[in-house]
Amino acid sequence: MPKQINVALIGNPNTGKTSVFNALTGLNQKVGNYPGITVEKKEGVCKLPRGVKAHIIDLPGTYSLNASSLDESVVIELLLNKNDKDYPDVAVVITDVENLKRNLLIYTQIKDLEIPTILVINMSDRMAYKGISLDIEKLEAHLDTKIALISTRKKQGVDNLKDLISNYQNLSIEPCLSTQDIDIDYFKGLKKAFPNQSLYKLWLVITQDVNFGKISRNTIKDTSSFKTKKDSDLKRLQQKETIKRYQFINNVLKEGQTIDLKTAKDLRIKLDRILTHKVWGYLIFGIILLTIFQAIYDWSSVPMDFIDNAFASLSDWTKNTLPAGAFTNLLAEGIISGLGGIVIFIPQIAFLFLFIAVLEESGYMSRVVFLMDRIMRRFGLSGKSVVPLISGTACAIPAIMATRNIESWKERLITILVTPFTTCSARLPVYLIIISLVIPEGRFFGLSYQALTLMLLYLIGFGAAVGSAWILNKILKIKSRKFFVVEMPNYKLPLFKNVALTVLEKTKSFIFGAGKIILAISIVLWFLASYGPGTEFNNAEEIVTEQYASNNLSQIELEQKIASHKLEHSFIGIAGHAIEPAIRPLGYDWKIGIAIVSSFAAREVFVGTLATIYSVGSDQEATIKNRMAAEVNPILGGPLFNLASGISLLLFYAFAMQCMSTLAIVKRETNSWKWPILQLTIMTAIAYIVAFIAYQFLK
Amino acid sequence: MNGIIQNIFVFSSLTIAVVFLVRKFVWTPKKKTAKTCDSNDCGCH
Repeated sequence: MPKQINVALIGNPNTGKTSVFNALTGLNQKVGNYPGITVEKKEGVCKLPRGVKAHIIDLPGTYSLNASSLDESVVIELLLNKNDKDYPDVAVVITDVENLKRNLLIYTQIKDLEIPTILVINMSDRMAYKGISLDIEKLEAHLDTKIALISTRKKQGVDNLKDLISNYQNLSIEPCLSTQDIDIDYFKGLKKAFPNQSLYKLWLVITQDVNFGKISRNTIKDTSSFKTKKDSDLKRLQQKETIKRYQFINNVLKEGQTIDLKTAKDLRIKLDRILTHKVWGYLIFGIILLTIFQAIYDWSSVPMDFIDNAFASLSDWTKNTLPAGAFTNLLAEGIISGLGGIVIFIPQIAFLFLFIAVLEESGYMSRVVFLMDRIMRRFGLSGKSVVPLISGTACAIPAIMATRNIESWKERLITILVTPFTTCSARLPVYLIIISLVIPEGRFFGLSYQALTLMLLYLIGFGAAVGSAWILNKILKIKSRKFFVVEMPNYKLPLFKNVALTVLEKTKSFIFGAGKIILAISIVLWFLASYGPGTEFNNAEEIVTEQYASNNLSQIELEQKIASHKLEHSFIGIAGHAIEPAIRPLGYDWKIGIAIVSSFAAREVFVGTLATIYSVGSDQEATIKNRMAAEVNPILGGPLFNLASGISLLLFYAFAMQCMSTLAIVKRETNSWKWPILQLTIMTAIAYIVAFIAYQFLK
Repeated sequence: MNGIIQNIFVFSSLTIAVVFLVRKFVWTPKKKTAKTCDSNDCGCH
């Protein structure tokens, strides 16, 4: 037996596949992308008995091997390609004990690919609750495999699953369904034409609507012994195949499963009645949102203050301890300040993802999707558009990719175009710092004004998304079919391990994804702010000393004047002054202008940029917030970040596109530059106009 | 001497940062796609 084997976890969505993956791999897992595409790839390592290691891949959830989306095609592409380095030695099909009939369809298909397959029946702890009893021996005999009955919640059966995986070579690879049962003549012809091929693999290649690299239906052509069929005939045969499979599954379950409806207790129906109610449903959702935003503020203030002070002290310590010079300044003023500008938001981002993970794990998020569909339809969006819009609160990039399962091109295009309006986590640092500077700390019915402002910004983002969807629906003349199907998983108590791993992974990807960009931009910005052309920069000390010779300034005041003069005549100062006329009507100075331009790489760079710019030449140990609060408006006097300029900035970021990666994804998903350019122009114009009106009205 | 070394570090960091940003946003080298099936049957059996 090889020392390392490939194990693929396959199953329908909501069967607890990720819980099984987490139970097998623990922290030995990493998340990446499949080569060439951006479908998430989760893989990990599990130690099996007798020193064997299992390389485990958690494949995207799929209902069958008839792909209708890119995510599903990943599964089929892997299972059809023996040359793939991840091709499984053994497939583990995960099913939910409450939905065995539906979940077994994909099991029968994978078994027919002649891959050793283990069946996992998950959530066994719910059997007594639902009056379900299983005869495992009979099921194993009829399905011709080994079954692991497990409960990841109760940590039962995982060791048995590991044993079964390590003994995968004893599994039968006999198919469940004979291809002859689908159409005897057609498959006889196919067998004659391709005698060395697996018939079911050929059948999958012929019937898929997607192409798999070189594995295309075009490679299977008419020969003297085999005649291809029309698409409509193939569809009929596919339907026949599905019916045959369900007949097989029904017969198996008749023997191996009994459900006593009298003992089944169903809390789900009662809960659904309340949580999807046309009044209570929205009210409860509103209360949950309010609680989340309040908690984000209340719970994270202590760790945030700690991080902020720690970075300020670290910057000060670096400056005082290392030998004086350009690189020490780069470390203290550029790198540490820039990174501090992002690390400070770890607590709030972790709390946001914690709540999202709990809502998803508990099954409540699907109810929200159902609830919001009623509203969505009025704006020309699909019920399925809710998933990207909700995912957009984390990041617009995976959210836009999540539109791939929207069948109608018009609805998909509208969803792609409006998703960047939803408040992504990259906007959060900008919102949080500005809100803390310009919104007072008072409370309204126990809820802080700051939390309410944050919630309002989320609602503005969501409102902008559905409002523009309504307009686009009226403007775009694209004909399409509309339907909405959503699966409602059972309610369950979120598993701590799953929630913790999700929070860890999402926070890590936010910090490391943005962190590298912020680090690089901080270095470039520090350089641009610390070097400059001409005599005004190079002779700053003489010029300022001469200018203030009669003012009797203290040494510290004089040094601050020199630093300020140098900054203004540095490369970044020159660039900032060049764009200042365009942003002054919004209430911003050239430093904010530079932060806005640099944050086009990623919105969260805004705070890091300001932290870097304000640190250059500063000798005081100060937090980012204090530095921003101390900034004075050079023309009007008074704090630069006041209510008018603060609200203007918040609204600018609420509407502006400001994300290069999102533009790149929109280009890829729409296969055209037309839509991202249109999106960028319109969103920037709206952001500018709204920020302008807000500033002029409030100043 | 200290000043020269510090400047070398600064300009090295700057070069690395600029190269990183250019590769990230302006020019990304094309990766060789791993998922090809060069054998005549595309690994179908």
